[in-house]
Amino acid sequence: MSFLPQLIANSIISGSLYAIIAIGFAFLYDSVKFFDLAYGGVAVVGSYLFYYFFSELHLPLIFALVLALLASSALAYVLYKSVYEHIRKKKASKLVLLIASLGVFTVLQSLIAIFFTSEFRTFTSASVQEFTLLNASFTIVHLAMLASALIIFTGLMLFRKYTSLGRAIVAVSDDEEVSKIVGINTKRVVGYVFAISGAISALSGILVGFDTGIQPTMGLILMLKGVIAAIIGGFGTLPGALLGGYLLGFVENFGSFAIGGEWKDAIAFVLLILFLIIRPKGIIKRN
Amino acid sequence: MTKTGKIIAGVIVVLLVIWGVSMISSKSGTTTNETGPIKVGFVGPLTGDGAALGENAQAAVELAVSEVNAAGGINGRQLQFIYEDGKCNGADAASAANKLLNADKVSLIIGGACSGETSAMAGAAEQAKTVLFSYCSSAPTITNAGDYIFRDYPSDTFQGSFAANYIYNKLGKKNVAVLYVKTDWGTGIKDVFDDSFTKLGGKVAIEEGFDQTTKDLRTELTKIKAANPDLIYFLGYTEESVTGLKQAATLGIKTPMFGGDAWDDPKIYDGAGAAAEGIMFSTVSAPLSDAFKAAMKQKTGSDEVLACTPGAYDAVNILSNVMKKVGTDSTAIKDELYKTTYANGVSSANISFDSNGDLVGASYMVKQVTNGKAAEVK
Repeated sequence: MSFLPQLIANSIISGSLYAIIAIGFAFLYDSVKFFDLAYGGVAVVGSYLFYYFFSELHLPLIFALVLALLASSALAYVLYKSVYEHIRKKKASKLVLLIASLGVFTVLQSLIAIFFTSEFRTFTSASVQEFTLLNASFTIVHLAMLASALIIFTGLMLFRKYTSLGRAIVAVSDDEEVSKIVGINTKRVVGYVFAISGAISALSGILVGFDTGIQPTMGLILMLKGVIAAIIGGFGTLPGALLGGYLLGFVENFGSFAIGGEWKDAIAFVLLILFLIIRPKGIIKRN
Repeated sequence: MTKTGKIIAGVIVVLLVIWGVSMISSKSGTTTNETGPIKVGFVGPLTGDGAALGENAQAAVELAVSEVNAAGGINGRQLQFIYEDGKCNGADAASAANKLLNADKVSLIIGGACSGETSAMAGAAEQAKTVLFSYCSSAPTITNAGDYIFRDYPSDTFQGSFAANYIYNKLGKKNVAVLYVKTDWGTGIKDVFDDSFTKLGGKVAIEEGFDQTTKDLRTELTKIKAANPDLIYFLGYTEESVTGLKQAATLGIKTPMFGGDAWDDPKIYDGAGAAAEGIMFSTVSAPLSDAFKAAMKQKTGSDEVLACTPGAYDAVNILSNVMKKVGTDSTAIKDELYKTTYANGVSSANISFDSNGDLVGASYMVKQVTNGKAAEVK
């Protein structure tokens, strides 16, 4: 069983990535209550902005990272202001918002393909630092994934509990109308939610870029995996998203080890369907 | 139905009629137009997976076209190529073929490079009775793709058994793992390889397939590592190979790697860096002439002549010769192709086609990557 530690490491690596995407998505969904597909598009834009700053302009890593995250945050905010806010004001159904976000997603993806071509790109061909622990090998990028997942999770939990903006976000996600009545500027709050989720989404895209590489079409599958994780974890709850991400990572990797890699995506969706049938509210139910 | 509804319906009907009439008139138009340039479609991966192969092949096509046109074209008519990006997948290639056949009304299509592209275009080409001439697709399934489908690139029935022989006899590895991309090309070679290798007495310890879109092969590689093979036969296109080779290195896999003709792509050695050192692969052995090499160097500014390039160059010349003889009628082109023998090609010395439109005969060589460059293993 010498391969077991490696298999666990692989599961934690992909689980961390899914968890990051799922946390950002759940955080967003909890407040805005619609499936924002453009969330996946922001991941693509973020990773390409980073590519531009880091690999083409050769800015220092931290500087490029901060710039890319801020820009993606701003993008998500602008999308909200220019598209979703108007639709929400008209009390349009969630389906309309979903379709609108699909449109935004497609536009973002195409713009990136026009500016950067649809070529597969890697940030750097330099070898990254590697570690071995109990027979399991991983790189510093994988450690960054794990750390990001945990930091984002704890950060958001604390933020929601202890800051006034965070508490306002919780209030809006509980009931937007009542929040308005008690004097919360819900529009401003939702704007912040978009901005924060945009940065999280972009970070996931950048991490993928460091691990393997980026492509304009990577947004949809990333997003789908994140959504599956969010749903099986318990829709809209942050602990649920974290758990869901890791559960998906473990099931996918152990599943494909047992029956074959070609089934990896199928395994993820079977897991989703099983959850939808047996426990539709996910592992952690929202109270 | 409201009044506006009726107006909209009426407008739609009128538009459909106009469209239908224009379709019919333009169809009849092409047969009478015998003086303008001859339109030919080209499909290959110009972006995404395998883009280096496609771009290099496109350069060779451009070279051949300018030579043909400079020498007076096809009985006085110039060749006009329309280049489309098949992105190495069926969906994009199929829409490219539809555009070429229906909108551009090309006389024939040279393409695709990836087997998935060619398979996806075969139906449309067959229906339109237009010759589809692949310069790089190797999947065995293309053999029976149709009457109008040709290729001057050998089927993987040859490559799979060549690799099996080389690995078993030359390299002396009897216990191998196969890691393959689930496309027409990957599964095609894998099936033939498995069969030939076990017949020789070797053992395929483990077989792992993966989706072309997957970039995370860690668990597949972990599984292969646990099976402890003597060699990994890794059939992947550019992108999966770059990440797969890197991931194998991270996992501490020191087992030798052997790949297919898709590895004849310098992007892999650039992208994977040290992880690509020492990898070997089989590729078609082409009798490149010095004149062709020099012309390509002048065109692209590099010494690289990649796997699909000689076939693409020959394809233009073969089809030009055929059209000089029989004109642009596609059924006549097809019939003539079956009878054609083309000598002194740069992809193979003598090119002729069997009753399935497949290239007759094939010769392969093995290349190995050292210091970031692939060179033939003598």
